[in-house]
Amino acid sequence: MNTKVKKTENYTLMDIEGRLDTVTAAAFEASVLEVLEKEARLLILRCSDLEYISSSGLRVFLLAQKKMMAAGGKLQLCCLRPNIFEVFEISGFTGIFQILPDDAGL
Amino acid sequence: MIRIEKLSKHFGSLEVLKQIDAEIRRGEIVSIIGPSGTGKSTLLRCLNLLEQPTSGKIIIDGLSILNKQTDIALVRQKMGMVFQSFNLYAHLNVLENISIAPIKLKKISRPKAEARAMELLKLVGLAEKAYSLPEALSGGQKQRVAIARCMAMDPDILLFDEPTSALDPTMVSEVLAVIRRLSQQGMTMLIVTHEMEFARNISSRVFYMDEGVIYEEGPPDQIFHHPQKEKTKAFIHRIRSLDLAIHSKDYDLYALQAKVLQFCEKHFIPLRSAERTQSVLEEVLLLQPDYENIQIRVSYEEKAGNIKLLISRQGEAFHPLNESLAEDELGIRIIRARCQNVDYVFEEGINKLTLTIKSS
Repeated sequence: MNTKVKKTENYTLMDIEGRLDTVTAAAFEASVLEVLEKEARLLILRCSDLEYISSSGLRVFLLAQKKMMAAGGKLQLCCLRPNIFEVFEISGFTGIFQILPDDAGL
Repeated sequence: MIRIEKLSKHFGSLEVLKQIDAEIRRGEIVSIIGPSGTGKSTLLRCLNLLEQPTSGKIIIDGLSILNKQTDIALVRQKMGMVFQSFNLYAHLNVLENISIAPIKLKKISRPKAEARAMELLKLVGLAEKAYSLPEALSGGQKQRVAIARCMAMDPDILLFDEPTSALDPTMVSEVLAVIRRLSQQGMTMLIVTHEMEFARNISSRVFYMDEGVIYEEGPPDQIFHHPQKEKTKAFIHRIRSLDLAIHSKDYDLYALQAKVLQFCEKHFIPLRSAERTQSVLEEVLLLQPDYENIQIRVSYEEKAGNIKLLISRQGEAFHPLNESLAEDELGIRIIRARCQNVDYVFEEGINKLTLTIKSS
């Protein structure tokens, strides 16, 4: 799993690449928390290269969402592959997160 | 009619048949099925002494054929054998191929033997090929001639050693039709075959052979629809399996998932199903209370297209989906959504969780 962060004037964009599972969830959580320390308005997680996610990865998304909401900010996800979107649907996360179909507006 | 007692055959240190006991009654049609290399053909070849058994007894109509005094040639005349490769004389025409043995061995007059050969050619549907050489025949036709040649000796029993496995698929049915016709005449037959549908339809009994023994025997309905033993089930349902084990909480998830993926690729399981299996495996492992002794079996039932995960854990009874210690239900939701069936039993100190993955 790899992440790349790009900060713009209005938001921070984080690209997630690879697998988010039991093994990589802790590293991903650390990366997200580091970004959240600096970005309290809008964080966009771009998932076009996210290949696999398990409940361990989902929990980090949930944590990020809670932190952003507590800080009065907003978290958005975009570009989920069908297999990843399926996990979000199964977990009931499509109703919790704002999921954009693409990154056209970025 | 034939009684086999403690029959063993070794090729050097390799034990191909292990103490086989069986009985074949007059008029029975017994199909012998099972994976390759499990001794099916060797058993047939021992019966007519093409292979000399290492130990044991074969008793045909009360006569022990392994006795040194027994007339082997006479025993072989009672048993016709049809081989994978038809073994016809290339220089003799069809009629001569069929009549040569009765003329030479049974001292039957040529006209009588040829008249009988013509009858048999009619029976196998090849009367018009009586004067053709084998090279002018298709594989299916050659095999039908080989069957007629066996019948010409008026055997008491016919042994078929994979009679259709050397044939083009388009020719299999003509040979099977001839065998089926013979079966209706009350001929005793032992058939080693990989044609499961045929074996199911024609047999009065089926032997499932595995690892040199008759592992399970019974009527076709039992063997093909309600096999009682594990290996028979695996063979009939064409189940392929992969066994994995975990002995510590620091198990290598990636190694496990890579093996699951390899297994799925090997059996042409769609990638989507492979990913679901990986996902369910990860989630179910996260729900385990300890990791000291977990056995994982991934099995794929080719016929039904089902992938199953069997997670066995030694220890106290604990249903990981009902008594989860996880902080939330995320993992359980993923498992339930991706499985069409979840079964849990606790038997003899082992928790067994069987998860049938939804197909793509």
